[in-house]
Amino acid sequence: MLKLIKYEFAKKYKLISITLIISVLLNLFLITRGEAGSGVFIVFFPMVMSIFYMVDIIKMYSDDLNKKSGYMLFMTPNSGYKIIVSKLITAVIEGLAIMLLYFIFILINGSYIIFTSGNYVNFKDIIYTINHLLSGSFGFNLFHVFMVLLTALLFLISFLTTAYTAMTIRKSIFSEIKFGGALSFLIFLLLNWGISYISSRFFDLLTPYYGSFSMMRPTAAEFTRILLPINAMSIIQSVILTLCSGYLLENKINL
Amino acid sequence: MELLKIENLNKKYNNKIALSNISLSLDSGKIYGLLGPNGSGKTTLMKIIAGLHRQTFGDVFINGEALSYKTKAKVSYMPTENFLYDSFKVKDAVKFYTEMYEDFSEENAFNLLKEIGVDTEFRISKLSSGLVGKLKVALALSRNTDIYMLDEPLNGVDVLSRDVIIDLITRSYGENKTIIISTHLVNEIEKILDSVIFLKDGNLELSGNAEELRISHEKSIEGIYKEVYKNA
Repeated sequence: MLKLIKYEFAKKYKLISITLIISVLLNLFLITRGEAGSGVFIVFFPMVMSIFYMVDIIKMYSDDLNKKSGYMLFMTPNSGYKIIVSKLITAVIEGLAIMLLYFIFILINGSYIIFTSGNYVNFKDIIYTINHLLSGSFGFNLFHVFMVLLTALLFLISFLTTAYTAMTIRKSIFSEIKFGGALSFLIFLLLNWGISYISSRFFDLLTPYYGSFSMMRPTAAEFTRILLPINAMSIIQSVILTLCSGYLLENKINL
Repeated sequence: MELLKIENLNKKYNNKIALSNISLSLDSGKIYGLLGPNGSGKTTLMKIIAGLHRQTFGDVFINGEALSYKTKAKVSYMPTENFLYDSFKVKDAVKFYTEMYEDFSEENAFNLLKEIGVDTEFRISKLSSGLVGKLKVALALSRNTDIYMLDEPLNGVDVLSRDVIIDLITRSYGENKTIIISTHLVNEIEKILDSVIFLKDGNLELSGNAEELRISHEKSIEGIYKEVYKNA
């Protein structure tokens, strides 16, 4: 498994390096524009990176299924489950790395702003200030932010497993049908429709559960419990779809 | 000793039959020629054995074991296409094989590549088709496994390099190994074949010991090939 993950990153180390260098250079450039520049970077970086991330992760799997270079992976004596899980772990690591990078950028930009305003730079102070700002102004703290990011990451993984499953179905059960890309998208839409239907029934059952929380200004513990069903749904969805993909890769694949 | 057994193998692509009721038994210690023009089903058969395609129905057993991801460890398959990661250097591809296949000999691979003149520092995207051909063969033959399947190993390779590749194949031959070579360049490869399998439109047209077929048909394998496919 580790070898598979290693080679996933080996295949795209150039892309990662270039993205990292461009991000740093762009941040340095915008930092010279002062606080407004830093603000622009902090707001737009996660948006742009989310799009790049999703495209990259989908392409990572799509290329292996649809290009001849995929033989290199699928000829190895690794089970379909191992292959799909390694792809997902790669995606998670990449997602976490982007989140970490974003936090680093927040710290750097925060430090710079404090430094330029003539104050002593202390990372503890920065965290405290950001936390204080968040809790004071909006009624939530860094833990809330962390939970939102975790939920977003789990949602993203469930989204990716849906996309991966759609591509796997098309390359196994419907491998002989033309217009592969369009068919993958159609399967993806159908899967999402099915999942949405099940989710809505599931959340209907949880109405009394949600009624017990204060939705206006929930504490960190309440916020975690509010997000628990959503996160559980994402995890269950991801596990089921990963098993489906693994089975199809193992037994029905036609590269 | 029977190494590869194929029973009633069928493969359909939509309404097109790629393989129809193929049943074969291949022994170890032999070099098989899988012969036929384009579209005869050679590549499909190899891809099924390599685990890249699934048969519509029928069975394939390697050493008595039905096809699964585990049997991929017993098959060294060289696809006809350039399947190697473009961004890799040659040495990265060797490293990949070393890490992915327990039976792969890194030392053997580097020795072979040196011998056939493939620079390991070169990026694969920069290699000529002839060098890619040599690299693919060297990687496939540097494994120490039961079945080697080389799909059109002479395609896009110059005449001198063809001799190098044929030499590599014959040197890899061993009594516990089976080598299957698909080609339509029969004349080039005929001298090393022990047995031949002729496929035509997905059907098994003819198979048997190469020498016995030469005697019974009073022709070379290339002559029999022309006879079998004259209307194809």
